[in-house]
Amino acid sequence: MAYLELDNVSIGFGPPDNRVDVLKDVSLSVEENEFVAIIGFSGSGKSTLMSLLAGLQKPDTGEVRIHGNVITEPGPQLGIMFQNYSLLPWLTVFGNIELAVHQVFPELSKAALKEHVEHYVEMVSLTPALAKRPSELSGGMRQRVSLARTLAMRPEILLLDEPLSALDALTRAVLQDEIIRIWEEDKRTVLMITNDVDEATLMADRIVPLTLGPSATLAEEFAVTLDRPRDRANLNKNPEFMKLKNAVTQFMVGMNTEARETKVAPTISMPDVKPMDFSAA
Amino acid sequence: MTESKKDVIKFKMLKAIDLSGFTVFDPVLRLAFGEDPKKQFGSIVKYIFIPIVFVLTCLWLWSWIAPHHKTKSGEVPTPRDVLNSVSVNDTIADREAIKSQDFLLSGEKRQARLSEVKAQHAALKAEVDRLQAIVQTREKEKADREAAIIAPLSERYEALRSEYREAGKERDRLIAELSEDLAAGRIQKMELTAAIREDGEISDVEREELNALKSEIDEVRSQKYRPLEIARKEYDSMADKLFFLGTRLEFLEDRNLNVRLDEARSRLDGYMADLAAAESAKDALRLAKRAVRAEESVDRLEGQEYASAVTIYHQTKRSIFTVFIGFFMAAFVAIPVGIMCGLNKIFMACMTPIISVFKPVSPVVWLLIFQIVVGAFFPDPETHPLFVTLGSIPFISSLDVNPALIFSACTVAMCAVWPALVNTALGVASIDPDHVNVARVLRLGFWNRLFKIVIPSALPLVFAGLRISLGVGWMVLIAAEALSSSDGLGKFVWDEYQNGSSLTFANIIMVCFVVGIIGFFLDRMMIILQRLVSFDGKGASV
Repeated sequence: MAYLELDNVSIGFGPPDNRVDVLKDVSLSVEENEFVAIIGFSGSGKSTLMSLLAGLQKPDTGEVRIHGNVITEPGPQLGIMFQNYSLLPWLTVFGNIELAVHQVFPELSKAALKEHVEHYVEMVSLTPALAKRPSELSGGMRQRVSLARTLAMRPEILLLDEPLSALDALTRAVLQDEIIRIWEEDKRTVLMITNDVDEATLMADRIVPLTLGPSATLAEEFAVTLDRPRDRANLNKNPEFMKLKNAVTQFMVGMNTEARETKVAPTISMPDVKPMDFSAA
Repeated sequence: MTESKKDVIKFKMLKAIDLSGFTVFDPVLRLAFGEDPKKQFGSIVKYIFIPIVFVLTCLWLWSWIAPHHKTKSGEVPTPRDVLNSVSVNDTIADREAIKSQDFLLSGEKRQARLSEVKAQHAALKAEVDRLQAIVQTREKEKADREAAIIAPLSERYEALRSEYREAGKERDRLIAELSEDLAAGRIQKMELTAAIREDGEISDVEREELNALKSEIDEVRSQKYRPLEIARKEYDSMADKLFFLGTRLEFLEDRNLNVRLDEARSRLDGYMADLAAAESAKDALRLAKRAVRAEESVDRLEGQEYASAVTIYHQTKRSIFTVFIGFFMAAFVAIPVGIMCGLNKIFMACMTPIISVFKPVSPVVWLLIFQIVVGAFFPDPETHPLFVTLGSIPFISSLDVNPALIFSACTVAMCAVWPALVNTALGVASIDPDHVNVARVLRLGFWNRLFKIVIPSALPLVFAGLRISLGVGWMVLIAAEALSSSDGLGKFVWDEYQNGSSLTFANIIMVCFVVGIIGFFLDRMMIILQRLVSFDGKGASV
């Protein structure tokens, strides 16, 4: 039995007579300490999938299981990191992380709590910003705080919902390295949603494409067999990396074209009307 | 190094200015630190100098227009009159303070003060007499001048009046003749009616002429004679001071607390001595009764305080106190109820009709309702525990809390509760769904979720609501005080309107400014609080 399982999960919105399925029959199993990337176009239901995994939403049919136990509500063992940081703006960096840590480890003493928080802030190299509020931080720094908060809860599974898509390319690269470093130091199961093929190929053990919505589902997966640590600088010269990247990209783009082709053009037949020729008469 | 220290101070001050919403003074501060003087001068001219000129223009326009509008309560006061009434009210307050000191003086100090005031009084008396003589001379001068102008006019008036009276009599006589002629059949009835009509018309014209002449005379009489006005003004102010010294003498002598106490005690001692020496039972009874009464009066005197007349400062203090009582009552209800409304849609649906119906109700109606409903809780305010307790707290006892104050505060609360409630509900309901997700992921319990997520995120809007509430409360309070006769600025205005002295109108306008300025500071205070709790870096609108 796999560690984390999605078993024929479907979810939709709207009233029963006009229901739009967002996800349909999604199945996935993730092994312990595996890094899986789910890649998909925007609007294909990626965030909904993440909400299901985190227990924030319940599937209409099917089950999400961890260790064989069905997930019915969110909890700290499922550490989710949101796309838009979701930091509490009235708390400092320390306060934001402390709130989470205190909730998960209520037994910690004050000093131990402080040490715990500081350890994770150090891990994302934000120690100088400990007393700052989110509004005083840049986007990249905020996302680091969010990462530190998620890690500080010591979740069994790390759910990263497009964690880097709101960042500029340079910050993004730095944070990618950071996440990989932390993951390698402190192995755990990671499920990351992304729309960036490079990112997925660089970071993941496995890439699972999500087909176009509505009624999106998971397509054939790509295994990433590149050795770790992967050197960002030389990856573009690595034929295996390039091949994989091209395969995924082609699959995704092909899916898009296919979707466009299969889509029936909404043609309306017009009455055959011609202007009357009055000059003849 | 010094430069950076200076900058630190500068930025701290700039931040303080920004926080309090006085950003207008930003360029002044920057200029003081010598930052880009040209730019700062530009800003100062645009945003400080021109507005000041505008306000001065308004004041000038006011002082120019005011005397041209005559009302039944006299001329509309000019800015100068209003400023004068500020100093008059200030003097009243000072004098009350002095009198209350005098009231409590005793022993040698009292004697010293007494002789001092007596000397002042005597000196001033002479001055007042001198001024009074001047006023009399001026009055005579005025009368003479008027007489000189009026004499020919009134001569003409008299002559004209007797002439017209004669003419009228003549016409009456003619009409009487005509009526006899008509009775004898010598003329048509038309002729008689025509004559009567003509008589009426002529009389009207004559009366009008006389009236015009008379009003001309009145006009002369009503004209002001400047020397007299000046003399009177001087005399009035001196006589006022003299009167004040007179009252001080009273409070240092006959009405002084210790003098009266001594008197009462010596009377008591006398009775006691007499009682000891009483010979018959009848005498003893009579003397004992007297002694008991004397004892009672000593007791009564011992607890006495100076009964100060209400001053504008006292009224202002009391108004501010009342508005805060009402405001805190409102906040105490509005915040919890608002939070519940925001959290629970059913509760919100239940509250919506209540809010919608009661929100527009006038404060006057609420005041009447509270006077009846809340009034029922203390049928006898003198002994009610609430007032007894409040009366024993040092600062509050001086404010003299009474049922009228409670009614006013309740009215303030009733009108101020709505903006705070609605804003709190909105703040709670519009919490960012991401923050809700955080709470869910962290599995926060209800109270933790409330105090760590919901309330902090709603705080800026809660404070925005409280700010509106305080503004509304302050506005409502003045009306409530006027109507409920609760001491405060509202009652001050109402009393002024009722008693109609020469200062009335100026006092009312002065209160208008006092209320406005205090309201401004209350609002500023709330802005600062609001900015301190808002986390998004945006300030409240000013």
